[in-house]
Amino acid sequence: MKTADPREIFQQEAQDLLVQLEQALLDLEHAPDDSALIDTAFRALHTIKGSGSMFGFEAVAAFTHHVETAFDKVRQGTIVPNRELIMVTLHARDHMRQLIEAPESADTAAGEAILAQLQRAMEGGAPQAAAAPAAAKVVVDATWRVRIRFPRDVMATGTNPLLLLDELRALGRATVTPLVDDIPPLDVIDPTACHIGWDIVLTTAQPSTAIEDVFLFVRDEMTLEVEAVDAVVPAARLGEILTERGDVTAGAVQAALEQQKPVGELLVKDGATSPDKVNAALAEQQHARREAAPAAPGAAAKANANSSVRVPAERLGELMDRVGELVIAQSRLRQIATTSADQQVKSVAEEIERLVLELRDTTMGIRMVPIGSLFGRFRRVVHDLSRDLGKEVALTMEGEETELDKTVIEQLNDPLVHLIRNAIDHGLEDPDGRAAAGKPQQGHIKLSARHAGMEVLITIEDDGRGMNRERIRERAEERGLIAKGATIGDSELLGMIFQPGFSTAAAVTSLSGRGVGMDVVKRTIEGLRGAINLSSTPGHGSEVTLRLPLTLAIIDGLLVRVGSGRYVLPLGSVEECVELSREEDARSRGRSFLNIRGDLVPYLRLRELFACKTPADPYQKVVIVSSGDLKVGLVVDQVIGDHQTVIKSLSKLHADVEMLSGATILGDGAVALILDIPHLVAFGQVREENQRAAG
Amino acid sequence: MSQQGSKMRKVKDATSLEVLTLRLDGHLFALEASHVREILDLGPVTEVPSANPFVNGLINVRGKVVPLADLRLKFGMEKTTATIDTRVVVIEIDLAGDQTTIGLLADKVYEVTEIVPSEMEETPRIGMIWRQEYIRCVGKRGEDFIIVLDIAAIFSSVLRDRKDNPAKRNAA
Amino acid sequence: MAKTILTVDDSASMRQMIKLTLTGAGYDVTEANDGTQGLATARGKAFDMVLTDLNMPGMDGVSMIKEIRKLATYTGVPIVMLTTESDAERKAQAKSAGATGWITKPFQPEQLLSVTKKVLGQ
Repeated sequence: MKTADPREIFQQEAQDLLVQLEQALLDLEHAPDDSALIDTAFRALHTIKGSGSMFGFEAVAAFTHHVETAFDKVRQGTIVPNRELIMVTLHARDHMRQLIEAPESADTAAGEAILAQLQRAMEGGAPQAAAAPAAAKVVVDATWRVRIRFPRDVMATGTNPLLLLDELRALGRATVTPLVDDIPPLDVIDPTACHIGWDIVLTTAQPSTAIEDVFLFVRDEMTLEVEAVDAVVPAARLGEILTERGDVTAGAVQAALEQQKPVGELLVKDGATSPDKVNAALAEQQHARREAAPAAPGAAAKANANSSVRVPAERLGELMDRVGELVIAQSRLRQIATTSADQQVKSVAEEIERLVLELRDTTMGIRMVPIGSLFGRFRRVVHDLSRDLGKEVALTMEGEETELDKTVIEQLNDPLVHLIRNAIDHGLEDPDGRAAAGKPQQGHIKLSARHAGMEVLITIEDDGRGMNRERIRERAEERGLIAKGATIGDSELLGMIFQPGFSTAAAVTSLSGRGVGMDVVKRTIEGLRGAINLSSTPGHGSEVTLRLPLTLAIIDGLLVRVGSGRYVLPLGSVEECVELSREEDARSRGRSFLNIRGDLVPYLRLRELFACKTPADPYQKVVIVSSGDLKVGLVVDQVIGDHQTVIKSLSKLHADVEMLSGATILGDGAVALILDIPHLVAFGQVREENQRAAG
Repeated sequence: MSQQGSKMRKVKDATSLEVLTLRLDGHLFALEASHVREILDLGPVTEVPSANPFVNGLINVRGKVVPLADLRLKFGMEKTTATIDTRVVVIEIDLAGDQTTIGLLADKVYEVTEIVPSEMEETPRIGMIWRQEYIRCVGKRGEDFIIVLDIAAIFSSVLRDRKDNPAKRNAA
Repeated sequence: MAKTILTVDDSASMRQMIKLTLTGAGYDVTEANDGTQGLATARGKAFDMVLTDLNMPGMDGVSMIKEIRKLATYTGVPIVMLTTESDAERKAQAKSAGATGWITKPFQPEQLLSVTKKVLGQ
């Protein structure tokens, strides 16, 4: 095992800290009073300075020292972090990054200029600081006692109390206590009736009207009490809480306490109160204690940071390879076990299968990283672009918790940056243009990510001017990509912009528009076995959708036979399998679609596509696959069954066969090819469009 | 000193080559032994639809999916059926920057042998029916010619040809 | 498996909008043109939720809700009514007939989705 180079460790840690610093600074622009953010920024600077000097990075240590001094003043409240200071600190951060990654090539003059700017920004911030001491964090959370009792027949009319409790929980932090004292014995209970009430202690930033809104539909039939808890006292004792809640008299509590046994028990025993009420009060006590616990600074992610382990990426890759081979070997074992008469062999094979599947899932999960880590970087990109181009841009992000394989995420950075740049540079109009179009001054870019089946969908939307189809057509005809006057489907037309050197931008800006970008973007995405889609409404905006497979290595597949070859379809893309009746088979020839239970689906006869010479099976099967909203029916000879597939990449010699996304080894040792569903779906779609257009 | 009527010339500054000799359609070929990883019997081959006919198969080499090439197609020979002597020569070459494993079909594999400089001759420019760039040199051993292949060049040309003629879209 | 929703409304454009909004969110939507058809369809299949207009020719929404509540398979199934502001009395009638909740017309697709989510959970 190689002993790690301390310099490298520092560089890695410093990179993480720089990311944190940048995020904190960007957030600070909108919330200059947030002491947690200021702390994060300061600590990052402090650590980089300290460790830097320890590991021989003197330049960055010396530079950071000044920035740290400035932020110390912010931390103490003598300076307010205004826009200027934050901008300078962001520049300083970039310089620090240079000093860490490539200290020899760092521009010292630039560094000095930044420090001078920093000095000026500090002085600028001081006079205001004298007047405004660091503002205390405004308390916005309030705690409520919510008691709900429903009529017995509330569920008959379709109300689900559990869903309402979930809605309450979504408002903040809640502790829910069911009140079970009224549940009748089993022999007389009516299961469709609601016998349970609930006491909830809820801490929320929302007003009490939000609590009442949850019960909007049943307000008239139920009992709802919402009471503010004035001061959440963590150390309040059970007896005190019960008294305050009005569930017991102070005298009874006193009497119980004198007996020196758990007060709750005694009170119930004496009949001074009910078990339900004691439980509810205990819940309130626990809730209060939890709320009083010091909040973790920054995002919850920080808490997780302590329980993670750094692993070199290649070691992870080796692990994945071994797991992959294990999966293949296990599927061969399964084949053997099926034909064996030995019960012991069968049962061990089953056990191994279960373990291997779990191992596969766990290993896959290790490499999954939330896309938020990528999206976060783009805030800076948008921020800088917005400033450089003089366009106001609001960036919203959705689905940051969507997870992707680490290797995929790394390769997405450049394409996404390019697409965002495009959207801001070409998509969004400048302030005058927006005013003329009656749009709000602030342009809107939305990044979102979500899982859809076995894929991840990432979209970049803008509310700009949309894509100019006439110009695209002109340019395409100019370059000989389309014949003049030829009919072409809309998606194919928009797809023209992916041709190398294609650019309809009248003026090539320094940022983008050289036309070298989009074809590279497309190639990168396709290299990840993904697909890219464009849609656009003139005057309203455009949307780019990236479709990527969830994991690069192991997937669940459907095994089919076409002729004498076997092929695998990723199971997540498979919608259903139907038998193709003789009539429909005959009817479909000459038509561009199949009639599947009333739905018209474009189709591809794989036997034709693969030029099979063996005789066809009498009853062909159709496997309907989908990629996003598009479907295509793949006609095959036989559907064999499920097969867990370890994806092996095809060599460069076969990289040009677009229908295939890889190969795999079956249980009997034969090689099967994995079909590229997005490509086949798009191909089927285009073929159908063209056939229709040709009349 | 030129030999009367001969169009072959000796290779200048040659060093001995260790090669594996094999037979394709009656001709003797050889490739550098340093590229050879192993020699296997021919097993099941999966056909890759729409692929270049020269390399349109895939085989399983101990868990690895390896493309199978039929050199006969590169040299204008007919495809023939496999016999008991047919072997797959598994080689590893640098293909556009990646170390790539490829299987080569051979009608019969002979031994690893050394060709010494005195046996080497430059590839004649005329009288040779095959592309010059595929051939490193020609070895003469008694009456037999052994055509020493430049295997890396052969496969690089596959990639290059593909770039010049962009892959045909799978026509319906 | 997708949740199934029965939508009853005599306005074709309304049904269209509802169907588009809900199927886009992954629900399975069946339509009916009026109360009689709605009741018949509800009898034929156990839906997860019923969404109905109140003002319809023939059998109106309130009567249909009453009849549906008589079916054993619909105990506990949410029935959401579409009402206009001025419908206060009918709303009360529908409520006592067994409606679970309401959406006030005119409404945005987001409101339809949030009420659906509220009564079905997700």
